[in-house]
Amino acid sequence: MLAAGSKRQFIYIAALVVVAIVIGIWEPHALVYGVQRGSLYAVIALPLALILGILGVLNLAHGEFLTVGLYASYILFNNFGTDPLRATIPVTLILAAIGIAVYLLTVKHVLKAGHLSQLLITFGISLVLSELIKSIYTTQPRSVFTTYSYSSTTVAGVRFGTYEFLYLLVAVAVLVSLQLFLKKTRLGQATFAVGQNPRGAAIVGINVSFVYLFVFGLSIAIVGLASAIMVPRVAIFPGAGTPYTMKSFALSAMAGLGNLNGILLAGLTLGIFEAVVNAIPGGSGWSDVVFFGVLIVVIMTRAIREGRR
Amino acid sequence: MMKKVLFVAVLLLTVSLPFFTGPYFLSVFNTIFVFMSLALTWDMMLRTGQLSYGTSGLFGLGAYASAILVARAGFNPLVSIALGGLFAGVTAFLLGFAVLRLRKIYFSITTLALTTVFSVVIRNLPKLTGGASGTVLPSALFNGDPAANYWMIFGLTLGIIAISAWLSRSKTHYAINAIRNDEITARSSGIDVFRYLLLMFVITSTLQGVIGAFYVQQYAFVQPEATFSMNFLLLPLAMALVGGVYSTIGPVVGAVLLGLASEYLKLIMPYGHLIVYGVIIVLVVLFMPQGITRPIMKWLTRKTNVGGVNSASIGN
Repeated sequence: MLAAGSKRQFIYIAALVVVAIVIGIWEPHALVYGVQRGSLYAVIALPLALILGILGVLNLAHGEFLTVGLYASYILFNNFGTDPLRATIPVTLILAAIGIAVYLLTVKHVLKAGHLSQLLITFGISLVLSELIKSIYTTQPRSVFTTYSYSSTTVAGVRFGTYEFLYLLVAVAVLVSLQLFLKKTRLGQATFAVGQNPRGAAIVGINVSFVYLFVFGLSIAIVGLASAIMVPRVAIFPGAGTPYTMKSFALSAMAGLGNLNGILLAGLTLGIFEAVVNAIPGGSGWSDVVFFGVLIVVIMTRAIREGRR
Repeated sequence: MMKKVLFVAVLLLTVSLPFFTGPYFLSVFNTIFVFMSLALTWDMMLRTGQLSYGTSGLFGLGAYASAILVARAGFNPLVSIALGGLFAGVTAFLLGFAVLRLRKIYFSITTLALTTVFSVVIRNLPKLTGGASGTVLPSALFNGDPAANYWMIFGLTLGIIAISAWLSRSKTHYAINAIRNDEITARSSGIDVFRYLLLMFVITSTLQGVIGAFYVQQYAFVQPEATFSMNFLLLPLAMALVGGVYSTIGPVVGAVLLGLASEYLKLIMPYGHLIVYGVIIVLVVLFMPQGITRPIMKWLTRKTNVGGVNSASIGN
C-alpha cells in the first residue's frame, strides 16, 4: 500500500506545496492559519485512523475523549496551577488509563459482534462521556489562559501567532514515532501484522487481544496529548471535541485505510482549504459545509471506485 | 384473542386520554409519541441492515420546510406538514442515489455528516430561515389546544405503527431481511437491493419529515440548534434498542418505558440526564441485544411457543 502509493503521494505533496505557495502569496494569513489548523486536525485524526485500521472499529466517541482531555488539562490548571504544557504528560497518562478502562469494559466485547454493535456502543460511550462532563461542569464555557500561547511574531510584514506552530511540530513528531514504532519494534511489527490479518497473526503466536488493548490505549493517549497542546487556544465546553470525530474521519477517509502519512497531508489540505474559505468575505459560516462536503465527496468516490473493482 | 382485546383496550384508553387527564400528561404522551414515531422509522431503516444517523437531519429538514411555508408563504399548517414530509422524502430520494451505494460505517457516517450539512446550510441562509436565531411562527397548530395536538400526533403514530406492521407482513419484509442477512445472497436471488433500500429510505425519511413538521408547528418555533438536536436521533435510538430492534412492538414499548422514565429523570437531574440514555445504549448492546420485549413475549407465550424468536438481535 505504502510502496504503491509513494509515487502518487510524492506528486500530491508537490501539488500541495505549489498550491500552498500560491495561497501564501495571495493571503499569507490563510496559509499560516491553514497549516496550523491542519496539523492539529492530523494529530487528532491519527489515533482515530489507528483504531479504525487495526481494530476495525470506528470510534464515534473520539471527539468526546478529546473533550475529556481538555477538561483534564483545565482541572490541572485550575486546581493545581499546572502549566498546560507541563500537564501534557499527566493528561496523556490519564487519557491512556481512561482509554484502557473503556476498552476493557465495552469495546473489547463487541469486536466480534459486527459493525452495528460497534457503531452503537461507541455512540453510547460518546454520550456518556459528554453528559457526564455536562452534569459535573454544566455547559458553561471555560478556558485556560497562558500568555505565551498568544505570543506572535512578524515576518515580512505579516503578523501571526507562533504558539500554534507547536501543532505542526507535534504532528510530525507523532507521525514519525508511530512509523518508527510500527516498523522497528517487535510490538509495532506485531501491531502491523494484526492490522493486516488478525487470524494469521494469532496463528503465528501474536497476542492479538493485547495488541488491541495496546493500540486503543495508545490512541487515546495521543488524543490526550492533542488536547493538552490545544487547550490554551480553545474554549472548553462539553461539546468542544465533538466536531473532531467527523473531521478525523474525513481525514482518514481521504488518506485511505492504513496510510498514516496521508493523514498529515489530508489534514494540511483541508486546513488550508478551510482557511481559504474563511478568508473569503462572508465565507466563514460555510467552512463546515466545505469540510463535510469534502468528506461526502471523498467517501462517494471511494465507494464508486471500489464498486467498479 | 387475548391480544386483540388488549390491543383494543389500549387503543381506547389512549384515544380517550384527553377526557380524564390534564395538559401536563397530554404533553408527556405527546412527546412520547413523537419519539415513538422516530424510533419506529429508525428501526424500519435498520431492518435493511443500514444504521442511519440521519434521523435528526431529516426531521429538521421536514420541520424547516413546513415552517418556511407557513411563515414566508402563508400556507395552512396542516398542508405544510404534508409538504414538509414530501420535501424530506424527495431530498432522501435524490440523496439516496448517492448515499445508498455506501455500506456499513460509510453509510452511517455520511448520514451523520448530512445532518451537519443541513443545519449549517440552514444557519447560513438567514433571509429564508432566520439564521442561527431561528424563526417564530405566527401561531401554534390548533392554537395550541393540547387535546387536538395529542390526537393529531396519536393519529400519525398509529399510521406509522400500521406502516411498520404492514411492512413486516409484506413481500418487502422478506426482501429487506434477506438484504440484512447477506446482501450478496439476496442479490443473487434476484432481489433488486438498491430499489428496496431506496424505498425504505424514502418512506422512513418522509415519515421523519412529517413528524418534524408536526413538532415545529406544535411549538411554532424553529431554530437550527434545537430543531437539528441530536436528541431526535439519540432518544429514538435508545428506545428502539431497549424495546428490541427489527420489530414494531419493540420501539413502541421502548418509547413508553424510556419516555416515562425520562420525564422523571428530568425532574431529579436537570443537567446531563441524557447520560442515562448513553448508559442504556451501552448496556443493551453489551448484555441484551434482543431488547426487553422479546424475552417477555417469549415468557408470556411459552406454552404456545412457535420458535424462531431468537433470530433477531443486533448482529452483522
